[in-house]
Amino acid sequence: MSAITLTSSDGIEMSVDRTTAERSVLIKNMLDDLGDSGDAVPLPNVNEAVLKKVIEWCEHHKNDAPSASDDDDNRRKTTDIDEWDQKFMQVDQEMLFEIILAANYLDIKALLDVGCKTVANMIKGKSPEEIRKTFNIQNDFTPEEEDQIRRENEWAEDR
Amino acid sequence: MPGAKKGPAAAAGPRRDVLASLRMASMEDISRAALPAEIVSSILDHVGPVDLIRAARSCKLMHEMAYDDTRWVHRLKRIGCWDEADARKHAEVLFGTVANMEAVEQQEEAEIGDGSVPAVTIGDDPSNELNKMSDGFDKIELVNTSAQSNMLDDLNSDPSLVGLKQVRSIRGEARQEYGKLHAALAPFYEDIARNGPSAENLVFTRYQDPQAQAQLLAQLLSFAKSDIEQGWEQRLEHLQGTVSLFETAALKEFREGYESEDVDGTMRKYAHILWTLNGGQSAVDIFIHHNHIMTRKSELGNVADCIDGQAGTVKMEQTQAFFTRFSVAFNDEISIMNRVFPSNLDISSAFMEKVGQDVLSPFLTAIFDELHRSSIGSYLTAISATFVQCMNLSEALLPTKTSDAKFDEYLDNVVIKIYEPHIDLYLAEELDHFKKTCEATVRDWDRQLSEQAASTESFLMSNVNRQADKRDFLTSFKKVIMMPVNILPSFSSTKPEETKPETEFSSDNPFQAPKSPNRFSTISSPAPVAVEEVPTTELAAKAAIMKVKMEGIRSLFSIEIALGLVHAAKASLERAAQFVRLGGELALAAKQQCEAIFVTMLRILGHQHVIVGFDKAVSHLSNYRPREQGERDQSGVEPLVTFLELVNVGDLILQMMDVFYEQELIGTRLTDRNDFLDPANKEKKKFEQMLDERVAAGLNKGIDVLMEEVDYILATRQLATDFNPGVSSDPHRQTMDVGVSEVATAVVDVVSSHTQMLVGSTDKSTLDVFNQEVGLRLFTALCKHLKRQRVSVEGSLKLISDMNHYFKYIQTLRNTELLLYFTAFRELVQIYLVDPSDAKELANLIADADRFHGIWRVEEVIEFAERRADWYQVKRDVERAMYGIGCNVM
Repeated sequence: MSAITLTSSDGIEMSVDRTTAERSVLIKNMLDDLGDSGDAVPLPNVNEAVLKKVIEWCEHHKNDAPSASDDDDNRRKTTDIDEWDQKFMQVDQEMLFEIILAANYLDIKALLDVGCKTVANMIKGKSPEEIRKTFNIQNDFTPEEEDQIRRENEWAEDR
Repeated sequence: MPGAKKGPAAAAGPRRDVLASLRMASMEDISRAALPAEIVSSILDHVGPVDLIRAARSCKLMHEMAYDDTRWVHRLKRIGCWDEADARKHAEVLFGTVANMEAVEQQEEAEIGDGSVPAVTIGDDPSNELNKMSDGFDKIELVNTSAQSNMLDDLNSDPSLVGLKQVRSIRGEARQEYGKLHAALAPFYEDIARNGPSAENLVFTRYQDPQAQAQLLAQLLSFAKSDIEQGWEQRLEHLQGTVSLFETAALKEFREGYESEDVDGTMRKYAHILWTLNGGQSAVDIFIHHNHIMTRKSELGNVADCIDGQAGTVKMEQTQAFFTRFSVAFNDEISIMNRVFPSNLDISSAFMEKVGQDVLSPFLTAIFDELHRSSIGSYLTAISATFVQCMNLSEALLPTKTSDAKFDEYLDNVVIKIYEPHIDLYLAEELDHFKKTCEATVRDWDRQLSEQAASTESFLMSNVNRQADKRDFLTSFKKVIMMPVNILPSFSSTKPEETKPETEFSSDNPFQAPKSPNRFSTISSPAPVAVEEVPTTELAAKAAIMKVKMEGIRSLFSIEIALGLVHAAKASLERAAQFVRLGGELALAAKQQCEAIFVTMLRILGHQHVIVGFDKAVSHLSNYRPREQGERDQSGVEPLVTFLELVNVGDLILQMMDVFYEQELIGTRLTDRNDFLDPANKEKKKFEQMLDERVAAGLNKGIDVLMEEVDYILATRQLATDFNPGVSSDPHRQTMDVGVSEVATAVVDVVSSHTQMLVGSTDKSTLDVFNQEVGLRLFTALCKHLKRQRVSVEGSLKLISDMNHYFKYIQTLRNTELLLYFTAFRELVQIYLVDPSDAKELANLIADADRFHGIWRVEEVIEFAERRADWYQVKRDVERAMYGIGCNVM
């Protein structure tokens, strides 16, 4: 089980099992293309803290069966986040987003899914204002517009 | 004090502003960059509808993504109420029919792929108007008002109950459609999800009518499919708990209805309710498992009644009665099914399977097992007969209204299931039984024969009308073969006479019994056979006549045995062939077994009966010594006659086999005639070949015997005075006797009578070869004979007439090559006619090789000439004429 070296955006090198690293489709493809030259793989979009987190996740999941397909049924079944992942995702929101981004960049589908689900759970039952805060977005509606949307979807109101 | 309340908050902001703004800025930067639209979109995939709408209200980008039509279409699809075809049609109407597919596809892509643009616009304006008309949301009120009433009209308009059906598949309006559904169903769903299954659920408190409750629950089950947020498993569990709670209650009602036979009331009502709820499978199960036909199956028939204990046979009337009672009971149940269950619920398949398994199968298996223990013969009959009865059931049973087309198919499947475990055993037993019966028959016959081995073998020359007889016999044979063997003798009053030949031939005794008295009787008394047996059918009569005619070879084999075997085979075949119509593996096995039966029949009939007979006849032939035979019959060589009769019968049997093969195997499509690898075809070929070989071997021996006979006649009966009347001491002899000598007549009679017997019994080429061989051998025999005679000029006239007599006979054989020899012979005898004074002429005659068609060399002709009575007188002149001339030339 050979080990490879990853270099984070801030220049820190980390040694990882190849099988662990290959949870990332990006790294796997890179290794396949370049061959095992022993050179460090540069990951300019991921900083050390996030990369550590991601590797931690990969370590834990390295023996998972590769997720078959992302068809509807499958996704539905995997909706519930397992306990370990739940704990793993108990980080501050900034880190959470970073992890999601890194997962997206490294092409780790399962991790991206877990991240998205975590965020989805976060906004569950939140008011629009809270959602804005979560995603850090500005309200660009006029009050009339917002009201109209609300009226359009009266069925979604809490009763 | 709102102002005060706001104050600190507002104050808190600015206070932290210095630090916070920095942090905010960095956060904002990261966040903005961090979550691009596609990730946000996939996050929204995991968000429930209510939260989605809230998210839509947060900002324009979110609004755009949340309103994306595909999201809602997807949701509707999961519920199962989105019809893509309908949506396309609607789109086409909206955008006009599009001529080329590309445009359509592009349009679709535009709609689905980046549907955000139209989704937003449509979602904004027209839906606004829709909302103002508010046809979707006012109905929420309806739920409340209609909740009190149980009227069916209300049921049909209540969106909570029929919402799914009202969903329209329109692109761009999926959200609104979902909204209606959500408004109608979500309260109930959430109630159940929150409180778990109980009788106090909103579903049950708001609606009293079980039909409405069932409808609502069915809708909720579909609606639950769109719930994919976290915790859906538990919610679904609750919902299913509720459903099963309801189901159990309804089933109880249903069952009570069945027990009290309230078919059109309770049963019907609850069957429909359960059907509405989840397809009604549970009601079907209950109905099938607690069906009266199972619980009361003992009333249908008793195994013991169907078996005749003493005879060990199955009583067909009893099994038929069972089937009749069964079909009545079954039809009752079917009518209940028709009344109770909704028309598009197909339960007959499951019902029949269950009935087959629980009622028919145990009954039949019990019968089969019992019979298998007691009597194989009736076991075989029972299997096949009950199988036919089962198949006939399909006519007696009424199909349910739902499964007209497939009903027979179901029934077939059920029958196959019942018979599957028995078929292998049955087929093996069938073959075994057939083999045993046949072998027993043949052995029995052999034994009887050996007991009487010492008995004289009388023979007959009944070849007067042989071919006509044979044809006659074959026609009736064919007729009988073509008649179906009646598997159910007791129920076909129409053709009772057909079963007789079968019983007559399938048992061993009938054709053994009448034979014994006749064994010692002569040919001239055929009457007793016919009288004793009193043939009931044409074939039996013909067989009796045939038997009388075949009397001569009865020690070799019996045509009745052959007939018996054929009939046993036919019965077995027809029984086994019933299963061919099952199709699939079983049919294949049945087919193979049919062929195996045919092969066995050929083997037993061929090897153990016919061939043995032939071998016996051939050995008789080869042991025959005409010279040792003291007294002799005038008409023929006995073993040869026997053998030729045998050839005839062999041919008859061959033809019988052929007819049988055509009728039973080809006619019923059990065997493909063109499949040369087929065991039946191979065996048939082998049989024919074997018969031919035996015939050829026998004929070979036969010719030897015939020629020995001819030699014997020539040697013993040709008088020296025949061709040399001069030596006779009889003073009263006639000077010019030009008639045919007695010997020649006898020889021709012997030969022709035997060759005649073969006509029509073997194929033409065999016959030709036989005739040619006979002719040639006769020719050689005559040459040898002539060389032993002394011929005077006077006697030569008789010789010439003898030769003419032979020639005439040979002519009837129509063999030109053979004719040549005898033409030469005729020419040859002229050398005896030449007057001794014409030695020169004689010499010319002898030297003229052309005259004898090159059959003899000159030296050989001289040998013949030496037989002249006056040879020593003319020898010198002739030799001089022949060689002297030669010397002169030299």
